[in-house]
Amino acid sequence: MTTTQTRTAESAAGVVTEFFDRYRAHDINGMADLCSINASLSYVPVEVWGKQRVLRGDGKVGTIGKPLWTGLVTAFPDLTNTVHTVAANDDGDVVAEVDIEGTQQLAWGLIRPAGQHYCEPHLFVFHVGPDLLIDSMTGYWNDAGISQQLGHEEVD
Amino acid sequence: MTSSQTETAPGSSAPASPATTVQAFLDAFARRDAAGALALVSPEATVTVHPLGIGGRGPGVLGVVLGDMIRAFPDLLVTTGRIITTGDVVTVLIKVEGTQAADYAGAINQEKHLDIDQAWRFTATGGVITGVSAYWCQQQLYRRLAVKRFDAIAIA
Repeated sequence: MTTTQTRTAESAAGVVTEFFDRYRAHDINGMADLCSINASLSYVPVEVWGKQRVLRGDGKVGTIGKPLWTGLVTAFPDLTNTVHTVAANDDGDVVAEVDIEGTQQLAWGLIRPAGQHYCEPHLFVFHVGPDLLIDSMTGYWNDAGISQQLGHEEVD
Repeated sequence: MTSSQTETAPGSSAPASPATTVQAFLDAFARRDAAGALALVSPEATVTVHPLGIGGRGPGVLGVVLGDMIRAFPDLLVTTGRIITTGDVVTVLIKVEGTQAADYAGAINQEKHLDIDQAWRFTATGGVITGVSAYWCQQQLYRRLAVKRFDAIAIA
C-alpha cells in the first residue's frame, strides 16, 4: 500500500476490500498491517459475563482484534467470508455487508466443537485515515444465530 | 400501506437528501410513531431484519418489527449515535432502550430493562427509503430479557 495515494471513497473501499481478502486468506498479520498502530476495534456482540465483570469486544486491533481473529481461524479452519456490499465516502467512512462462515473444529468460547457449520451476516463500519490505514472498525452481527447453528442452545 | 410519503428538503420542493430522509424516519421511530416512520418507506423497499429472520418488501414488513418493539417496550428510547452517509446508503448506529411490558420475540414479559446497540443500513433516493437492513445481536437481547436458552425462550 503506497502512502502517497490520496484517500478517496474508492481507495478507502479498496483498503476494506483488501482487509477481507486477507481475512479470507487467514493472513492475520496482513489484516493488522492494514490498520494503524493504535486502531480501535469494537465488536458489539462480544460480551462475556463473569461473576464480577463483563468482558467486551472493545479495545484495539492489536490487543483485541488479532487474538479474536487468530482464535476464529484456529477454531474454524475453513473460515471464509463473502463481501456483499461496500459503500464508502471521501471522508474515509466505509460500510461493508459481509457473510462470515466456517466449520467448527475446536472450542469457540463456551461452544463445544461438534463439526457444525455457520454462516452469519455481519455489518462492519470502518474508518480509513488519510494514510489509507484503518483507524477504527465496529462490527455488528447476531451471535444467537451463530450459537444455534453450532448447536449451542444456552444464552450464556 | 399502498404508497409512501416523499420527504422534501426544508423550504424546498426538492426531495430530501438520503440522510435527511433517514433522519426523519429515526425521528418518527424515536417518537414511537411507527406510522410516521413507515410513511417514508417505499412500497417496493427491500427489508431485512437479520436477527429476527425477517425479510420482505414494503412498509408492512417493517411495520411488524417497529410495532412489536413499540408495543413491548412502551417507554422505548431510541438514541442515534452516528449517521454515516455513503452515497445513497445511510448507516445509522443507534441504541435502543426500554422496559419490557409485553412478550417480545418469544420472550415472556419479566419487566426487564433492555439496552442494545444496533446498526441499520438504509438506502434512500428521492426522499423515500428503498432498502433497510437491520443488525443487532439477539443473544444480547435475550440476555437482557433473562432468557436462558434459545430452545426454551418462553420459559421463565
